[in-house]
Amino acid sequence: MSTTRAGIRWIRADLRARKGQATLTVLVVAGIVAALIAAVTLLEDGTNPWRGLFAQTEGAHVWFYTKDNTAQLVATGQIDGVTSVAGPYRSAPVTVVQDGKKEPAALRALPAAPPRVAHPVVTEGRWLDTAEPGGVVVERSYARALRLRIGAPFTIIALSGERHSLYVRGIADSAEQGFYPEWTPGLAWVLPETLDRVEPMLGRSQWVTGLRLTDAESAQVVSQRVVVMLDDELQRLYTWREIRAAMELDNRLLGTLLALFGVVGLIAAALALANAAGGRVLGQLRDLATLKSMGFTKGQIALLLLVEHGALGLLGIALGTLAGWGGTVAVLGTTSVAPMPVLAILAGTALVVLAAVGLPAWRGGRTPPIPAAPALPPRGHLSRLARLALLVRLPPALVLGTRDAFTRRVPAFLTAFGLAVPMMMITIGLGVWATLDNFAGHPEQVGQHAALHVGPGKLTAAEAERHIRADRDVRAFYPGTDVNALAPGEGRSVRVRAIGGSAEPYPFPVVEGRQYAEPGEAVAGQGLLDLLGVKIGDRVRLTVGGSPLIVRIVGRAIEPDSDGEVLSVGLDSLAAKDTVPPEFYALALKPGADPAEVAARLLTESGESLDVQIVVNPADRLAVIRVVIVALIAVLTLIGLANLLTASALGLRDHAVDLAVLKAMGLTPRQVMATLVTGTGLLVVLGVAAGTAAGASVVTGLIDLQGHTSGVGAGIARPPSAMTLAVAVLVAVGTALAVALIPARRAARAQVPVTSR
Amino acid sequence: MSDPALKAVNLVKVYSGGAVPVHAVRGVDLQVEPGEFVAVMGPSGSGKSTLVHMLGGLDTRTSGEIWVGGTRADTLSESAWALLRRKKIGFVFQFFNLVASMTVADNVELPALLGGASPREARERREHLLGALNLTDRADASPARLSGGEQQRVALARALANKPSVLLADEPTGNLDSRNTRDVLRLLGEVHRDGQTIVMVTHDARVAGLADRVVALFDGEVVDDGRITRRRTGTAGAVIDLR
Repeated sequence: MSTTRAGIRWIRADLRARKGQATLTVLVVAGIVAALIAAVTLLEDGTNPWRGLFAQTEGAHVWFYTKDNTAQLVATGQIDGVTSVAGPYRSAPVTVVQDGKKEPAALRALPAAPPRVAHPVVTEGRWLDTAEPGGVVVERSYARALRLRIGAPFTIIALSGERHSLYVRGIADSAEQGFYPEWTPGLAWVLPETLDRVEPMLGRSQWVTGLRLTDAESAQVVSQRVVVMLDDELQRLYTWREIRAAMELDNRLLGTLLALFGVVGLIAAALALANAAGGRVLGQLRDLATLKSMGFTKGQIALLLLVEHGALGLLGIALGTLAGWGGTVAVLGTTSVAPMPVLAILAGTALVVLAAVGLPAWRGGRTPPIPAAPALPPRGHLSRLARLALLVRLPPALVLGTRDAFTRRVPAFLTAFGLAVPMMMITIGLGVWATLDNFAGHPEQVGQHAALHVGPGKLTAAEAERHIRADRDVRAFYPGTDVNALAPGEGRSVRVRAIGGSAEPYPFPVVEGRQYAEPGEAVAGQGLLDLLGVKIGDRVRLTVGGSPLIVRIVGRAIEPDSDGEVLSVGLDSLAAKDTVPPEFYALALKPGADPAEVAARLLTESGESLDVQIVVNPADRLAVIRVVIVALIAVLTLIGLANLLTASALGLRDHAVDLAVLKAMGLTPRQVMATLVTGTGLLVVLGVAAGTAAGASVVTGLIDLQGHTSGVGAGIARPPSAMTLAVAVLVAVGTALAVALIPARRAARAQVPVTSR
Repeated sequence: MSDPALKAVNLVKVYSGGAVPVHAVRGVDLQVEPGEFVAVMGPSGSGKSTLVHMLGGLDTRTSGEIWVGGTRADTLSESAWALLRRKKIGFVFQFFNLVASMTVADNVELPALLGGASPREARERREHLLGALNLTDRADASPARLSGGEQQRVALARALANKPSVLLADEPTGNLDSRNTRDVLRLLGEVHRDGQTIVMVTHDARVAGLADRVVALFDGEVVDDGRITRRRTGTAGAVIDLR
């Protein structure tokens, strides 16, 4: 009790004496914790929409599409592990016309009484009603993409070309497919009688059935049973895993990036903390000795320091939690911050903080209790570097500074290392930035050679081609078709993209192996290779609409779509029934042509008959990453700054006595200042250079690793340009020197101190 | 007869850190009775500071015994020494060693709090001490704003805050001008008259003249231990009575 009171007095006084440094420590820890919490929330939120929606809608685990509504469909409900069946519902492909744009949609017939299993949850408006046969309920992400509101007209064009005007009666959440536009077509529900009116031809529609299982893990087994049972009937099949993956795509990428930055940032922050606490302890040795002579024990001193420096860290953790929590809630608009990971982060950070300040505290506790013993920096010979500086006849101030930089080896190392780590992360951040720039600047390098996809719409293929050929900005066009193929043993569909001829292939960015050159050859995305467990050179056998497709994979292409689970072949590799007429044309434009302009022109020329879509660049979807990078650079700069202030405070303290001697020897204040700045500046240059080199050497590998795991595939990474790096290094070193200059200036101008030892 | 306030038996200190072991203190016997004022004199490097640091437990002894108020202390651990210092020993150093980040008041209250006094008691004792030392108006100042003499008076107040049984002073006037030296010595004399046991290290004979007894050290050995008797009435011409 008595020591507690005395200790609190001392801590309070000490904190008051160094408000600035304490604040910086708190900010650094808070920034890192906020970044970590944001990362975890984004990661968690990336999976949460599916989990939440699945629970709300009592969703089905396996969904499959068939051509007809046969008795076999009912039989799938008898498969072991299936608890209930949703559907079969009739579903027809339509095109929704909204604001002059045409978006593909599936119109699904659901009864007016929502089913028990996989029932959409209405978030706005109301569910379908037999009294209002013109009403349609639209899936929420699709409604958002089309900017549809309750009561808005919903104009659709059936396959027959006939227009129907419905209206939006409700907007609902569903867990039966991913979000639009990552998952197409969009989804809208109508009453069965409305669908019969829109699409009277049964042959133009499909039947959709969902199976809810007792155990989500058995989805694979059940879907294989379905594949066997339905055989040729089955057109497409997917499980909850694909839906979840589709929903989490962007946030997961972002979350991984944030987590990487957060973890390395935490290490950097721990270093900064250890450095700050260690520097402070070194500066306080005399006070600590005095405390001991008054009767503080070794353990009490260590505890005192641990509490003081640890409390700053814990305060930072608290503030960071608030900021991270508040920030994510404000941005995401949800309260889906997962408690467990956040608690784990808090506990982990607290441990790291305590460990980081533990060592200096322990050292402080071991201070000998004779206050008169001055804490001198180890004196000694000139370092080799300083001797070298002397040899090449550098000015004395520089030589002295060089010597000073390394008088204390451990703090010198900590300072350089503490600057190197943030600098490395900044370099990696710049690399991510450069990669995004490359996505945007060279879409052809990420598999987006074509800027426009044009569907024939109401026109015949020949008419569509004529319009496309007539446009002056079209450099080349490739007819193409997307089909779903069943992979053997996988129990799910993969996308097969047939585009261009095999002899004149679409220029996929093939990064491994080679481009396909003849029918029967294919290139695949990383995601597909991983999914099927095949490698380049292997043969794969898929089933497309009942007919087998056997291709040899000859190369790997960068594949930004569908998590990379796409197989690309020439049109002539597919059966003619699947490719004639082509579903779309991929248009490569001439350099400098504006896709939006060409799209508008094509629409006008064809009298709104063509279905034109502008390809979405992945960089646009990932634009938020740039904001994150800027924020992280700010936090990392704070960390670097904290390290720097510690280093320069320590340098000043060590040299307070020397300064008097130097001045007495006749160094001008300017030279004294130069000595001090050189001492810190040398470490800064070392740290920044090492950090930049380390960052530049790992950045492409890291981004490619991320590309690999996300299915896009390695080969997307671009290192930051030499120019960017040079500017970053100069700015870092310049800022550091400017920061080091202020205390050095003050010290150099001060009266020769009459210090006592 | 009561136990001596402080006793050293054949105390030895050897610094073996360097290439050649340095014998700083070579077998010192010293007994300080309660209420006694002992000055330890000697030239630079005679081991007087080392001796007084060992007596207060700030430095470890190489061999020999140290007794504080009848209990053996040289075998204590560092922590046990710290606990002992809280209750029984007050230190005054040449360079004052006030905690720079704390105010004068906090500096004085700290040992009292550490000794187990309530904040209220600590404040009352601090007010009393600062009042006695003429420093009441500087209570909220930072030590850096005080003159050397004022700082040493604060250090003295701090050392006395716990009513220690022994006050150890290591060159308390070594860094002060003559006026401040006189002030500090007057204060030491006053607390001694109130019954405080004091061991003071100094190399200044005039300062040592204030003590009851002067122990002279040379090369780590006691070469002289003399009691000064004073005529109660006289102010000049003290007679040295060799034992």
